[in-house]
Amino acid sequence: MADRRKIVGRMFVLTAGGLLLLVPPLVHVFNHDFTVFGVPQIVFYLFGVWLALIVGTAVLTSRLPPERPANGAEGEG
Amino acid sequence: MLSADFVIATAVAYVGLLFVLAYLGDRRARAKPRSWLNSPAVYTLSISVYCTSWTFYGAVGNAARSGLEFLTIYLGPTIVFVGWYFLLRRLVRISHIYRITSVADLLSSRFGKSSRLGVLVTCIAVIGIAPYIALQLKAVTSSIQAVAGSSEFGQGSLKGIDDVGLALGVAAGMALFTILFGTRHVDAKEQHHGVVAAIAFEAVVKLTALVAVGVFVLFIGGGFEGIFSQAAAKGVVVDTSSSFDSRWLTTLTLSIAAIVCLPRQFQVTVVENSDENHLRVAGWAFPAYMLLMSVFILPIAIYGLAVMPEGSNPDMFALTLPLAAGQNGLALFAFIGGFSSATSMIILESIALSIMVSNHIIMPLVLRFSPPEYGDGQGVSRVLLVARRFSIMLILSLGFFYFFFTRDSDALAPIGLISFTAIAQFFPAPLAAIFWKEASLKAVSSAILLGFVTWAWCCFLPSFDSVSPAVSQLLQDGPWGISWLRPEAMFGLEGWDPLAHAAFWSLSVNILTLTIGSLLTTPSALERIQATAFVDVFRRPNLPQRAFAPGSATANDLYFVAERVLGEQRAAALFDSAARDSGVDPIGFEPTPEFVGRLERELSGSIGAASAHVMLSKVVAGSDVSLEEMMQMADEAQQVIEYSQQLEKTSAELRLTAQKLEDANAQLRQLDSQKDEFLSQVSHEVRTPMTSIRSFSEILLDTDALDATQRQRFVATIHQESLRLTKLLDEILDLSALERGERNWQSQPVDADAVLDRALSVCDALLREKGMRVDHGQRAGRTMVAGDPDRLCQVFINIISNAVRYNDATDPMVRITSAVRSGNFVVEVADNGPGIGKSERKLIFEKFSRGQRGAIDQTGAGLGLAISRQIVKRMNGTLDLAPSPLPGACFRLRLPIIRR
Repeated sequence: MADRRKIVGRMFVLTAGGLLLLVPPLVHVFNHDFTVFGVPQIVFYLFGVWLALIVGTAVLTSRLPPERPANGAEGEG
Repeated sequence: MLSADFVIATAVAYVGLLFVLAYLGDRRARAKPRSWLNSPAVYTLSISVYCTSWTFYGAVGNAARSGLEFLTIYLGPTIVFVGWYFLLRRLVRISHIYRITSVADLLSSRFGKSSRLGVLVTCIAVIGIAPYIALQLKAVTSSIQAVAGSSEFGQGSLKGIDDVGLALGVAAGMALFTILFGTRHVDAKEQHHGVVAAIAFEAVVKLTALVAVGVFVLFIGGGFEGIFSQAAAKGVVVDTSSSFDSRWLTTLTLSIAAIVCLPRQFQVTVVENSDENHLRVAGWAFPAYMLLMSVFILPIAIYGLAVMPEGSNPDMFALTLPLAAGQNGLALFAFIGGFSSATSMIILESIALSIMVSNHIIMPLVLRFSPPEYGDGQGVSRVLLVARRFSIMLILSLGFFYFFFTRDSDALAPIGLISFTAIAQFFPAPLAAIFWKEASLKAVSSAILLGFVTWAWCCFLPSFDSVSPAVSQLLQDGPWGISWLRPEAMFGLEGWDPLAHAAFWSLSVNILTLTIGSLLTTPSALERIQATAFVDVFRRPNLPQRAFAPGSATANDLYFVAERVLGEQRAAALFDSAARDSGVDPIGFEPTPEFVGRLERELSGSIGAASAHVMLSKVVAGSDVSLEEMMQMADEAQQVIEYSQQLEKTSAELRLTAQKLEDANAQLRQLDSQKDEFLSQVSHEVRTPMTSIRSFSEILLDTDALDATQRQRFVATIHQESLRLTKLLDEILDLSALERGERNWQSQPVDADAVLDRALSVCDALLREKGMRVDHGQRAGRTMVAGDPDRLCQVFINIISNAVRYNDATDPMVRITSAVRSGNFVVEVADNGPGIGKSERKLIFEKFSRGQRGAIDQTGAGLGLAISRQIVKRMNGTLDLAPSPLPGACFRLRLPIIRR
């Protein structure tokens, strides 16, 4: 399923990209010494990336075609 | 003011509520397997057991002390869950198929069902988790004391009890509670639906409590802006410039490892998972849960720093801020939230650890020292339960002792990070286990052991700094004064953050040992089988599990084993269904190797892969032999595949051969018809002279009255015809000999131009007779070719005589030229005769074909050109028609020159 592979690819990019955005040196790029509503700007950046990752995962997962539950029915419950 | 007695009573009541919830949850799960308890929401909430009192209290303290660092503890797991498709899904799938019960079971199962590795991992987990349990005890103790304060009324019956006594009480209560909760019975698959339901409930409680405190703080502090500006005015600012250093990276890495490898996280995320699709929700919902938990931590910490008196414990801000504002109800709710987060962690962690201890340490011991006939059917189950209860007590005792020895350290988060670093030592191994087939048991065992030793030296030992003068001396000078072995400055690596230092050395040693060791060692056969089964889990999901030889165990033996572990009911059900599947009466059921494999998986769901394997090995004969047999079977399968590929190849070859045969057949048929044609032509050609010879000889025989001249004429005709016949037969013989290549053929260097001259002189008489003019064109001069000179002469004579014979022009002429062109000797013989019609061009080189136009005497048999062409071909040359410079035909002969 080409569609599935594409979405899995995007999920990988999201994961790897999210990790890169949260570690030095990239995190330094977005760390500036000013405040927004009294809160340091970097706090907004970190929570923003966090929220973007959550939303991105939710969107991508909802598009990911479901898999047949492997062994899910076997002796469950 | 809240009294300690009241708070403790509330806590006990809360625990009672949890117990009821767990009981109802269990009953509901049994009655209705597909209830809401089995939903992605409950699954996600149960994963949030990750947020312990470390989050509830410790994160606030951490934020107050070190700014943004607390976020890494939640960002790491976020990354793991965002990438759920790549790691967690694989772990869940593998664990479902192979009935994995813990990290130790995963590793021991993957690396050749090794019991030693299971023991090693279990021991490290128990020791490594002790600080983490201590953290919870400390948090609960501190929170009770914070509520009670120092007033007479608040302390109530706690008066005279110090924090050690309180912690001991908390630990004992927790142990009792966990035993009641988690070890009532041994589950078939180590799934605890009731506990999970209670944990999910606690997740809601702690989130609501923290959010309530957060909203309250925001309310009294005047929103985010108000809180931060108020703090800034008092000189409290969040230092963001130094947050992103090696410590940031370290805690992020540790939290990534922890969310996968912490025994309780593995338990809820992987083992308790009943449907792989629940991960699809947890992938975003769990990060969202952590985000909600974290949003208010920074404001609470900052506001606490700004308004609370100097020296108050920032870990307890979530509790002391409402208390200071006189909000007793909210404070009680916050206490319950914190208590909730601590109990859920302790319950699950000790259940997970106790499963590891009983499956990997106690069961193998019991199995080793007891004969197979041991027990009365329920023996193993009972041993398991008792083992688990003792493990829980052991684990909580270890936690308590750690708390006792390090009670002087004040912050919560650093204690948790010590545990995280220990647990992180497991992380490289499962990754290698499920992604790298070459990873071997020896390498993994040494990697974990060396990583653990490094951790104990660099991380665990220094945490006793404040209680033991010996330890602080060691930290100062190193063992025996060897300064490069100082625990916090190994190999002279000074000036680093101690945590980053410890994590760096332990994980580096771990990973290097794992990779290099795996490349240097050879895994055993069972390891290789398991490696393929684990790594290729998505490629070959239904790999048959055949570890035992067919017919080596009786159904009775197996039933006895199954009954001991699974209990009578489940064992009977298992055997009945197997008998039904194979279509025989349960009494006459013969266990197949597949059934033994299935039984092993069922058993390993209860007692771990290594123990299950040992147990079955005792009743199933010759498991070592069967392993060899299994390898042989794998080889056989491989051979079958190769054989079928070969067959395919052979059949393709056969098709090709058949095609070739068909082609050859067609060619033969064509040749056959050519032969028939040739024969009919020959008979026709022979028949004409024969007829005239016969008729003339009959006239001579029958008629006496013939005059001499007439007689003379007839005899001459007969002679002429027989000459012609002889010539024809000679030519046919000649041609057939040429075609079959049987003729004596001499190949020697010949001067072709000289041969042409010789042919011309032979034809001189013929030319004169016809009165034909010879136009000598350009000549090549001496040119050597390889061939038979007489035959070549024959070719030239044939071409020239044809030019003479078919020429009906009034002024007949022939033009002969020779030249050297691109390494070939080329002779052209052109005439001004009638030429050759287009329709004849293809035919004139065929046998028995004669030119139609201008033929004066048709005495030739029509074989001359065919013979000539054969001769030229034998000399590697060509003979064909060329565009003529004269009105008639032009023959061109090419022969390759030999350079000599």
